[in-house]
Amino acid sequence: MSAPLSGVRVVDLTMVWAGPFGTRLLGDYGAEVIKVESPRAWDLLRALGMIPRDVPRWYNQSAYFNHNNRSKYGLALDLGSGQGRDILLRLCAVSDVIVENFRTDVMDNLGLSYEAVRAANPRIIYVSMPGHGKTGPERDYVAYGSNVEQLAGLVSLSGYEGGEPMKTGFSYGDPMAGTALVAAVAMALRQRNRTGEGSQVEIAQRENLGMFVGEYLVDYSMNREPRAPIGNRHPHLAPHNVYACAGDDRWIAIACETDAQFAALCGAIGQPDLASDARYAALPARKQNERDLDPLIEAWTSVRGHHEAMQLLQRAGVPAGAALTIPELMADPHLRERGAWTAQTHPDAGTWELEAPPWRLPRTPGLARLPAPGFAEHNEYVFGTLLGMTPAEIATLESAGITASEPDQSLHA
Amino acid sequence: MPQPLAGLRVLELGTFVSAPYCGKLFAGYGAEVLKVEPPGGDPSRAHGPFKDGVPNPETSALFLYLNTGKKSVELDLRTPAGLDAFIRLAATADVVVENFRPADLRALGVTYASLRAANPHLTFVSITAFGQDGPYANYLANNLVCFAMGGQLFITGTQEGGPLKNGGYQADYQGGLNGFAAATLAVLAAERDGEGQHVDVSVQQCMAPILEAGIPYYSYMGRWGGLRRGNHMASYIGIYPCADGHVGVHVMPRNWKPFTEAIGHPEWQQDPRFATAQARNIHNDDLFAELYTWAATETKREAYDRAGRMRAPISFVHTMADLLESPHLNERGYLTAIEHPVAGDAVYPGPPWWMGADSWTQGRAPLLGEHTDAVLREVAGMSAAEIARLNSGVPA
Repeated sequence: MSAPLSGVRVVDLTMVWAGPFGTRLLGDYGAEVIKVESPRAWDLLRALGMIPRDVPRWYNQSAYFNHNNRSKYGLALDLGSGQGRDILLRLCAVSDVIVENFRTDVMDNLGLSYEAVRAANPRIIYVSMPGHGKTGPERDYVAYGSNVEQLAGLVSLSGYEGGEPMKTGFSYGDPMAGTALVAAVAMALRQRNRTGEGSQVEIAQRENLGMFVGEYLVDYSMNREPRAPIGNRHPHLAPHNVYACAGDDRWIAIACETDAQFAALCGAIGQPDLASDARYAALPARKQNERDLDPLIEAWTSVRGHHEAMQLLQRAGVPAGAALTIPELMADPHLRERGAWTAQTHPDAGTWELEAPPWRLPRTPGLARLPAPGFAEHNEYVFGTLLGMTPAEIATLESAGITASEPDQSLHA
Repeated sequence: MPQPLAGLRVLELGTFVSAPYCGKLFAGYGAEVLKVEPPGGDPSRAHGPFKDGVPNPETSALFLYLNTGKKSVELDLRTPAGLDAFIRLAATADVVVENFRPADLRALGVTYASLRAANPHLTFVSITAFGQDGPYANYLANNLVCFAMGGQLFITGTQEGGPLKNGGYQADYQGGLNGFAAATLAVLAAERDGEGQHVDVSVQQCMAPILEAGIPYYSYMGRWGGLRRGNHMASYIGIYPCADGHVGVHVMPRNWKPFTEAIGHPEWQQDPRFATAQARNIHNDDLFAELYTWAATETKREAYDRAGRMRAPISFVHTMADLLESPHLNERGYLTAIEHPVAGDAVYPGPPWWMGADSWTQGRAPLLGEHTDAVLREVAGMSAAEIARLNSGVPA
């Protein structure tokens, strides 16, 4: 059976992470995604990753770029020129979706507002992914990855007990906005199937991520009581913490939800008497005295590897998980058996393993269909096959600087 | 324009956060969501924080937030009559969303294969820690365990403080959003082909690939730093205490000029320690010290608005009070007061993304079993006598 988005063409103007991550998912699940980069404003991710600049086509070899842009085609087109804009509108006329994550005023300034694109294709689904949204007093404020999670409220709730608010370990809002993009596009396509009409979608990254702490907002609006960060603990459950294991910087998370799981933990760590100790047996008392339990648990974990401790605890019926590192994730037997990593060959970058499409839809599976496009790799397909331009016309565009076969390397030198 | 998910019926067999968040999104964008709760209700009803701190299954902020716009059907699936009622509901549904451990769902007698026989159109979405198969499939898991096994725990916090989870239930929310994205794709395919499928979403598998450049750099180049960086990726990307809270800076090379101007240090553009990106990396410690000194003199809202006008990337750590008072979020209509008969008024965020006027609606969360009778009668087509025989703690 064909993929869920088979037959859907997406014009992708996004760069860096949130947008490209999302459009890559669209590509994995069947859409024909055309990534548009200007010869003089191409995707910064191509320049990241310590690639030596003296190798040919170094800008096609960034692993960070190649992970987030596989399953796409690549087109070089300068949107800043009138002719480039006209060509983009022609491409939109034969496409279903356009996605952009520019500053809020850029698309309007390029003459590519929703109204302009809709005039070229009334069935278009036009998606913007700004940090703050396209309205509101802060719409033009600059917001990058680490800003978004602060604005969403998440950082104020994260941190060690008694400590400062703490950032996440990555630009968390980006992949969440990219994931939201898939749902938004699927929903807009469904709506178009039913009404015949295209639509406009706006994913404000801080609002999408703000949903992930919504219960705290509801709580605060009811009770007006701030909740300080509580580290790895839980408001009600205990024990619920992270414990040191044998080895350098190795850890295990243990999170008991029931008295029975706690009793299983006590048995597994060789302290069965704790399960009937009045200080710990039932949850309310155990929560009160959880600090006293930590050293008893850690005495057991700290002399075991985190994998071994996890297996022993799981076998006993205790929710426990090793804090896996990146090398451990890539070697993880479970992820391996599930096919979470998949080898792909890229003509300029070689063969290595990438993440497989994350969700299993067995009847209509996703697929890492194409390696990430080299810069301008599919110019001929888009200009010639899709838009019917002659080789002479394409050559004229190239000599006018509206397209190119190589990026301007001075931009991200 | 009708809501994007109008006309869909979703049966949610979900507890706590992941499947309920997925169900909440379905309801918000227009689907009819029937939440099947066990006797006594979704365990999140027993988790606070509660209105005024008093435990009550109808006033848990966690439950109220995650279950907006749904109908509650209280059913004991461990009884034959309860299971039969569930199967009759599933025969009328477009989507089932569940988050049981695979072995636990099988023990209840609910399988995709059996539901499919009566309803080949059905999209059956499982959101679980580790997916439906593989060596960890039946490991016991929850938010903290997923956070560890998905790799996000190890990279969060400081080197000395040890791995730190983020606030709230972040692994579970990721599962809910990923489940929703996968479900909407599957619905699109089901409406095209007239055939459903069993969608398998593993939270671990969704979390592991998104550690910024971590997987790409390790897989392609064998590079892995292995350090937790606390609140600073570098001096110019991180969080600093200010006079009334915390401000965050995230300065890319092209932002340096407006940034120095917004913080009152335009002379740093000529300062050899800071004039270039390379120099700022070499003199990272100097810049740290300077930024701590600067930030201490600022108040958060003022610094944020000044920087925003000057297009300098400074934000501030928003508390819940800051969110409620945010002029931006209020003007955008992101904060909605919803009245609940037991919990009273509260403010709810949404929509997560905008798809046109009236594309998103947010009704209050249901009381436990509030719609049991009506749903069993009108949707499952059961008679009053059959409903009475259910004997599953359904309110009179």
